[in-house]
Amino acid sequence: MDELLRLLTYPFVQRAIVAGIFSGALLSILGIFVILRKMAFFSDGIAHTALAGVAIGLLLGHTPIVWAVIVGIFFAIAIYFLERRTELAPDSLIGILFTSSLALGVVLISLKSGYVPELNSYLFGNIITLNTAELRFIIPVSVALIAYLLVNYKKYIFICLNEELARLAGIKVERHKITLYILLAVSTILAIKMFGIVLVSALLIIPVSFGKLFARSAKSLLLVSICFAELIVIGGILLSLAFNLQTGPVIILTGTGLFAVGLVTRGRWRA
Amino acid sequence: MAFLEARDVSVSFNSTTVIENVSFDIDMGDVVSIIGPNGSGKTTLVRAILGMIPYRGTIKLEGKPVGDQMSKIGYVPQRFDFDRTFPLSVWEFLNLYSENEPLREELAREFGVAGLAKSRLGSLSGGQLQRVLIISAMLNNPQLLILDEPTSGIDVDGVASFYEMLRHINTEHKQTIMLISHEINMVSTTATKVICLNKNIFCCGAPAKVLTDEMLAKLYTTHFERRDHGHEHG
Repeated sequence: MDELLRLLTYPFVQRAIVAGIFSGALLSILGIFVILRKMAFFSDGIAHTALAGVAIGLLLGHTPIVWAVIVGIFFAIAIYFLERRTELAPDSLIGILFTSSLALGVVLISLKSGYVPELNSYLFGNIITLNTAELRFIIPVSVALIAYLLVNYKKYIFICLNEELARLAGIKVERHKITLYILLAVSTILAIKMFGIVLVSALLIIPVSFGKLFARSAKSLLLVSICFAELIVIGGILLSLAFNLQTGPVIILTGTGLFAVGLVTRGRWRA
Repeated sequence: MAFLEARDVSVSFNSTTVIENVSFDIDMGDVVSIIGPNGSGKTTLVRAILGMIPYRGTIKLEGKPVGDQMSKIGYVPQRFDFDRTFPLSVWEFLNLYSENEPLREELAREFGVAGLAKSRLGSLSGGQLQRVLIISAMLNNPQLLILDEPTSGIDVDGVASFYEMLRHINTEHKQTIMLISHEINMVSTTATKVICLNKNIFCCGAPAKVLTDEMLAKLYTTHFERRDHGHEHG
């Protein structure tokens, strides 16, 4: 216990916990719409497209995350329009785009001579390496996106529930959908430095899947999902430091473990 | 001036014409039933009225283009597809349409779903969900209520009480009702006007006048036998 309290006095641990709290809240709110619209593959795909952006940033010597956000937004908009303009199934479309972007990222990184140490942290995340400048960027962006999503929560629930009825009720469905795609891309990619390209979509899916086991209303789903995300982020950071393990995977495994407990205790099993 | 006026309404998808030159009038307070075999264009006509698909011709509500007056129309779709595992309470669902809590409570009591306020939407039976959907369509005090095959998925007893409810909405809430239906016998006792549709309008008028065996046989093309009870499909 003393060791844990001592860990909490370190600035890098404090930065990790603060960033994790804001990102966890943002991703768990977005996760509600991801689960309701069955967009888990989309969010996973968008996270993977980040590699091309990271590679461009590394090659040009610019901040990789900025390029990752640009590439992510480009792919989100491309998927939105191609879904409407082609007869391809959305999962095929996402599969083609994200594997191509991933392949492009690998090719571009291979052009950079020597070992690329940052690559590992983008692939698997390293929340404890966040610096103050990154934190100063993550907090206001997360607050702005959380505020937008909470203000429009009802509209997005309506759209996710039934687009046709939402449209008839006067909601600008297409405008809200493309905004959701872009927000999802930005939020997912901002979180890859913390949780990794490969793992970040778990933060969208696991808290809400846990919340669905216990919540009886959309309001309680929101509360349970956010609390669960905060619990696994803080718990995962402390566990990883206590056992000297990589933080991102420990956060995800903490979530999976608690979800499994929830499923056993409250799960609705098929007959 | 008719309450709802459709003139030469045609809808085509690619090269297929689904409805062609459909014209009819609906008066305020009417209960209008659209009947016709499957694929006859009933849902397409409703979707055109709601502005959900492009059409040729004109559709006016109280003399003005219907698209400008969508708030005057309440709609209950044929199928309400949603994730039944999603934790959305009945109250929260109705709140998506309107935050008018007194009206919501009044309608919930009136339609016998007040006790279901905190229930998950996905846990409701077909009949309960239908009542909740009708309340959602009535929350903005529409003048016209459009229901697309509202009794699909409801048992025979539920169908009779549903039509009783429709009569109540029409008389007590003074709402004009348009519904797509296959229950010819219920239609003949509830509707004030019947529109027989099979790409074109075959008949339009009071049920007693237009619901003849000859007309129904012509409309459904195959032999049609009127039954005293049960469900009729084209």
